[in-house]
Amino acid sequence: MSKDRENNRLWHRRPGDRVVRVHRGRVSHLRRVLGIPTLFSVGYGDVGSSIYYALGLVALSAMGATPIALGIAGILFAFTALTYAEGTAMFPEAGGSASFARHGFNDLLGFVAGWSLIFGYIVTIAISAYTVPSYLAYFWPPFKESLVAGPAMAMGLVGLLMFINVLGVKESSFLNLLLAVLDIILQVTLIVVGFLLLFEWPLLKSHILDFWPSTANLVFGVAIATIAFTGIESVSQMAQEARRPEKRVPAAIILMIIVVLVIYAGISLVGLSAMTPQQLAVDWPTDPMAGVAHEISGAIHPEEIALRVANDPAQVIVLHWLLETFRNMLPFLVAVLAATILTIATNAGILGISRVAFSLGDNRQLPPLFSRIHHNFKTPVISIVVFSIVAMLILSQGFYSAGVFANMGGLYAFGSMLSFALAHASIISLRVRRPGQRRPFRLWPNLNIRGRSIPWTALLGLLGTAAVWIVIVAMQPYSRLVGFLWLLGGLLLYSLFRWRARLSLTKSPEKREGG
Amino acid sequence: MEFHRILVPVGGSAADGDAVDLAVSLAKRNKAEVLVIYVVEVGRGLPLDVSLAGEMKRGNQVLNEAEERATEADYEVVVDLVQSRDVGPAIVDEAVEKEVDLVVMGIPYKRRFGEFDLGRVVPYVLKNAPCRVLVLREPGGGTG
Repeated sequence: MSKDRENNRLWHRRPGDRVVRVHRGRVSHLRRVLGIPTLFSVGYGDVGSSIYYALGLVALSAMGATPIALGIAGILFAFTALTYAEGTAMFPEAGGSASFARHGFNDLLGFVAGWSLIFGYIVTIAISAYTVPSYLAYFWPPFKESLVAGPAMAMGLVGLLMFINVLGVKESSFLNLLLAVLDIILQVTLIVVGFLLLFEWPLLKSHILDFWPSTANLVFGVAIATIAFTGIESVSQMAQEARRPEKRVPAAIILMIIVVLVIYAGISLVGLSAMTPQQLAVDWPTDPMAGVAHEISGAIHPEEIALRVANDPAQVIVLHWLLETFRNMLPFLVAVLAATILTIATNAGILGISRVAFSLGDNRQLPPLFSRIHHNFKTPVISIVVFSIVAMLILSQGFYSAGVFANMGGLYAFGSMLSFALAHASIISLRVRRPGQRRPFRLWPNLNIRGRSIPWTALLGLLGTAAVWIVIVAMQPYSRLVGFLWLLGGLLLYSLFRWRARLSLTKSPEKREGG
Repeated sequence: MEFHRILVPVGGSAADGDAVDLAVSLAKRNKAEVLVIYVVEVGRGLPLDVSLAGEMKRGNQVLNEAEERATEADYEVVVDLVQSRDVGPAIVDEAVEKEVDLVVMGIPYKRRFGEFDLGRVVPYVLKNAPCRVLVLREPGGGTG
């Protein structure tokens, strides 16, 4: 059987291959099986989707300083990703920041983190769905021009995905991986071709400096730029599934941080080389990558390039044909790939909500209704339907206001920054309150205060995310109103449920049996 | 051909019993160990370690039936309940982890769009399992 043993080594697990052993009714242990490439590609597949809307959204306020705003948000992204790595390795649970806050503080703050996270997910669903029609406008322009067709299609898409998720139809891990790879190839192609054809330092400098925003707009732009890194929570969920997480998760996260930041920097520089921030914000706010592809396409002159590069007439003909095909196909490819990736990002948001709401329900932080699993479909139907409807309500504002897109950026920052700030604070709190607890992945470098080591990245992440949240609350009345109403509604629901169930507001109750 | 450890994935179909019988008769030759597993598939909208009471009850019931079938043949089997995102990879993973020599799978005679259909689990295991795989189809079909 030595050949069989040899074969065993050839069997590589793929996403979705993780196994939990239940031993006749009791969960005994998790099998952690994912490697660095899989962790990276799945993580990138989630985070990378936001580039299809973030550039335009950030340009609306940060204008010429768009690359700087994205860069600062990128640093916050890196800090938050690292905090998630430590937290997830300690608590491999589905709740993400809600779990960290429950362990680090109490049930009430755990609920606030989870409820804010759900809000962030709802906005991710809405914003991803909202931008799908803009990319499909390549095939039918009213999707972008009409105040009816675009939002109607976006709402229809959320409705369809809600239905699919209620039924529990499986999504293909292979498709996700394939799209992540295609996505990276397309974006790298856009960056390389864009730099070759469009990059001129004096022009880029003038687009940055001539359109430099006011300090208030720059600060607001940084806050909005945090939307570029939606999906970080999903990465943490994948991080749970890694074997030797203390080594593989940080490696995958660092690789992802580098690739994401390089691609964002490249695309934003190409974008600002191709057009002014004004054009980006006004003409291509919801489909900035289509704008970049359009400009690159326009800069390709097949005959001129072919004659310059090749000498042999046969080579000139072949090169001319290749360049012409590439020029004609580029906007089409971007439209199809962006619409597909954004649809999958919308679906990832629904799955994320489903997991977080289930986790809150399971820990008795939401009424059991939210964690009730349909006996036939085996999905938490109520959570999926309720939160998808909220996303559709946000989208419905698109019927009478084109400003709904800009507002969604603020709403996302309100929910996610509060949740991420609590995640950072929880990791710090756990270092103080439970210094001896096993940490499979431990952040460094640390600041030593009274014998306790506080990770610098979590400290800076806390300050950064809290500052962004305060900026949004101070500067965006719409996000402030809707965000606080959401929080208030959630706290009322939480308090009423806990009061009726005769449970403490802060202490963790015993878990209920069964699913 | 000698087998030291045989894996029998069961899913509650009528063909499970025959698969257990076959595995036991093969195991009896040289006192091989027989492992019977039931895989609970968990959707991506739920945590993988979720406790799906109904599914676990059904899984335990199917495993009990497999255990009884083996007891009737005067043989002892080891049973296990596993949760996974996908049934196929869970079976292959189990085969690798436990270093089994043989996987015995019982499948019902199923038609899809008028054609005999193997489903998605059996082809996955046939393609990816590093050991030998025996597929036992229940009687049926005939004229097609």
